Amino acid sequence: MKDQILRTPLKAINWNRLDDEKDLEVWNRLTVNFWLPEKVPLSNDVQSWATLRPEERELTIRVFTGLTLLDTIQNTLGAPSMMPDAVTAHEEAVLSNIAFMEAVHARSYSSIFSTLCSTPEVDAAFRWSEENTHLQQKARMIVEEYNPGADPLKRKIASVFLESFLFYSGFYLPMYWSSRAKLTNTADLIRLIIRDEAVHGYYIGYKYQRGLEKVSEEKRQELKDFAFAMIFDLYDIEAKYAAELYDGIGLTEDVKAFLHYNANKALQNLGYEALFPPQACEVNPAILAALSTDSENHDFFSGSGSSYVIGKAVATEDDDWDF
Amino acid sequence: MLDNGVKAELDYHALNAMLNLYDSEGQIRFDADRKAAHQYFLQHVNQNTVFFHSLDEKLDYLVEEGYYEAQVLDQYSKNFMRQIWDEAYRKKFRFPTFLGAFKYYTSYTLKTRDGQRYLERYEDRVVMVSLALARGDEKLATRFMEEILSGRFQPATPTFLNAGKKSRGELISCFLLRIEDNMESIGRAINSSLQLSKRGGGVALMLTNIREAGAPIKGIENQSSGVIPVMKLLEDSFSYANQLGARQGAGAVYLNAHHPDILRFLDTKRENADEKIRIKTLSLGVVIPDVTFELAKKNEDMYLFSPHDVQKVYGVPFSEISVSEKYQEMVDDKRIKKRKINARAFFQTLAEIQFESGYPYIMFEDTVNKANPIDGRITMSNLCSEILQVNEASEFNDDLSYSRMGTDISCNLGSLNIAATMDGPDFGATVEAAIRALTAVSEMSAIDAVPSIRRGNDEAHAVGLGQMNLHGFLARERIHYGSPEGVEFTSVYFAAIAYHAIRASNLIAREKGESFKGFEKSKYADGTFFDKYTEQDWLPVSEEVTRVFDGITLPSREDWAELKSDVMEYGLYNRNLQAVPPTGSISYINNSTSSIHPIVAKIEIRKEGKIGRVYYPAAFMSNDNLEYYRDAYEIGPEKIIDTYAAATEHVDQGLSLTLFFPAEATTRDINKAQIYAWKKGIKTIYYIRLRQTALEGTEIQGCVSCAL
Repeated sequence: MKDQILRTPLKAINWNRLDDEKDLEVWNRLTVNFWLPEKVPLSNDVQSWATLRPEERELTIRVFTGLTLLDTIQNTLGAPSMMPDAVTAHEEAVLSNIAFMEAVHARSYSSIFSTLCSTPEVDAAFRWSEENTHLQQKARMIVEEYNPGADPLKRKIASVFLESFLFYSGFYLPMYWSSRAKLTNTADLIRLIIRDEAVHGYYIGYKYQRGLEKVSEEKRQELKDFAFAMIFDLYDIEAKYAAELYDGIGLTEDVKAFLHYNANKALQNLGYEALFPPQACEVNPAILAALSTDSENHDFFSGSGSSYVIGKAVATEDDDWDF
Repeated sequence: MLDNGVKAELDYHALNAMLNLYDSEGQIRFDADRKAAHQYFLQHVNQNTVFFHSLDEKLDYLVEEGYYEAQVLDQYSKNFMRQIWDEAYRKKFRFPTFLGAFKYYTSYTLKTRDGQRYLERYEDRVVMVSLALARGDEKLATRFMEEILSGRFQPATPTFLNAGKKSRGELISCFLLRIEDNMESIGRAINSSLQLSKRGGGVALMLTNIREAGAPIKGIENQSSGVIPVMKLLEDSFSYANQLGARQGAGAVYLNAHHPDILRFLDTKRENADEKIRIKTLSLGVVIPDVTFELAKKNEDMYLFSPHDVQKVYGVPFSEISVSEKYQEMVDDKRIKKRKINARAFFQTLAEIQFESGYPYIMFEDTVNKANPIDGRITMSNLCSEILQVNEASEFNDDLSYSRMGTDISCNLGSLNIAATMDGPDFGATVEAAIRALTAVSEMSAIDAVPSIRRGNDEAHAVGLGQMNLHGFLARERIHYGSPEGVEFTSVYFAAIAYHAIRASNLIAREKGESFKGFEKSKYADGTFFDKYTEQDWLPVSEEVTRVFDGITLPSREDWAELKSDVMEYGLYNRNLQAVPPTGSISYINNSTSSIHPIVAKIEIRKEGKIGRVYYPAAFMSNDNLEYYRDAYEIGPEKIIDTYAAATEHVDQGLSLTLFFPAEATTRDINKAQIYAWKKGIKTIYYIRLRQTALEGTEIQGCVSCAL
């Protein structure tokens, strides 16, 4: 009897009572943006794939396995680990959507592989991803913050860095190919992923800033120091990772500028000032412009684009049929 | 923040991409794009173009090596050829945008067989197309060259790409095929699709007559699998042909809204569609009769009718029946199996699918047939929803030979650049030259692989003269797209085009002493087509529009009356004359805004397999006249529909009309636009396009067209 009274009741989520409007706004955005890799006609890239040199192909597969690893972490560890920290039930719902879409992303790379590559090539790349020290190191740094005992706000910092910074050394390559008319459908798919990750990073950063409001000034300073220390460390690893991948085709400098740009973007999501000066962030315009997912005018017969969304269904009324 | 990157100075892709990023003063960097075009020539084109000492040397080489068709050049004297090439080069053509140049050199120009070096400059391509289409007529060849090089007339891609080349695809843009309710017809249609894709044309197929899933076969119930498996077969056929041909194989399928498989048909484009039924690259179109709107208005159910039963009852295929006319009769006929869905729910589903995929296209069946001056029924449209012509069913023997050959549809397209045509020395002469060029394409084409197409073309000589650069022209003249003046201009312009196109076709009929088959049963022959032109003026009213037509002679009622009697006496050579295509590629090389729709963005991001991501500034746009370049999303569907309605009035076929919505729109907004379009007499709707605005805080800064 006594036991039952003490036990708090289990609560159903009520979307009509919002504690934070942002939860609904982001939920709506994420749900209309729902997609599956099957919608992109990746097989139209088969010919283009054949025009890449063997080393370019290897690089591309490796980059994608690296991205798969990050998406896997975010899907299985990152988003779930943030759920217990959620302040509102709606935040939990958004996080579960994020977790699911990360699984879709991880799945998408396999779709690319199965369409374009042979099994031994893919197996070799997955082995590479397990053995590559830089990739493993940066993944481990993030995962440590996802441990159950870790600080909830630090967890969010790590998560934003993953979503808004670490992905981009990989995203660079398909954007580069597409600016050179290669693998354009694959780029469409990656752009769908970018569309999602941009919202994820933004949302988690937003929740981090709300969290900051509730802690002491001292704690805030500590977190800021932590964030900057972490981005320094991650940048260090990332620079080496980029060099290892991109030195072969001479793009490392360009990739680094892109890393600077995105590091600043990640810090901005956390509410912090930029780390890299503008001169260091001069991304090749072809790459930067390639990031925009929308208002692209494509030949509809050869691709599906990345701008369609799930619409809001509203029934017509009698007045609408006035003719 | 990205000013003057050192590397970017020379990289033409980076220079071009700067178009999409504002400079530090918030200005669009048009100069970067011009630099990109310039650098592209310096670094790439000039270095990779094969050099010849003289024209003779060049032509001899190209003929000997099998690049040029000798028969084309043999029709002309060496002297004349030197003259026409000289004249062309004297005009000093330059590409004003990077995309124009890039698109031309990657997709159109003649290259060495290894694809590494260029054998033609733009002038060479224009002259070769002109020589090929003029078929030995020197005067006509010179006319064509002048019209094309000045940018007034632009042949469609297949013609501009292929004419004059020795190993080439067809000159025709697109094909429309019927499928009847039997295995022979389905098999033949798949074969025809492969054959036509291989030759580089887009193919549309009509599925309306195929019996629905669950219909009986040979009297045994629940045997047919309906239209979806046929769509799957077609989709695979197109992607197979795509791997062999130079252009993408592409196809569309049309289904009547009252076909029992309609919802399954639409569901193939759902975001979460099962892989077994998902249709990725095939385009969909729905044929909607007026009765569907009436039923939705009354919020009633709409009945779907088994095509198999309809054919048994009426003795003709389902597509030959006007559903609006026979609706009640079919509802009451118990021999016709039927099921029902709510009409408003149908429209809502349509809009949901359009949100997710941009499809289906819509053809308003009754509007199209009422406006059709030709005897017969229009049952479908094509891959770009601008071709609207009558066709006739074929019947087959067991070995797939014809027991009765019907007619299928092909169409030769080409477009006028409205601004250049308005600036030109002789409006009527430009239209006439264009009609003659398109007629030549029809006469030079004989698609023997699909005899019903060949027969249709031989009998009809149907052509489709389109228009582009409407928005660019209006903006240059400081008229807002969709404003009363903009709509008035469109109406007057298209009426004048119709006049000159009919006049040209009438002249050809007189020269040849021949009209298209079925002319005597058309509304041209009995003169009723001309009523609206002889009873009413189609001339400018406002000061603005009168000003832009200054110096151009527009047809008066008397001119129309004279034309009417000429047509009634001498006939018309071409069964169809106008069709307004969406003009993708050709509007870039022609420095135009696409078709007659508004720009999609001030700086358009263009993605295509062969060229990647490239940025394109709207024609005539500068940092001083940006206010006239509101994009299609800002302009909204109503003004676009008003503009198209004004043009539709004077176009015998259709116009590719895309509607644009912000992603925050609902299915109801799309439905309302569809109702408005139908009410205004629009014939077809092409894509629905959406734009999502960036969630605050996630946008890319300083980007002209970005809305992440």
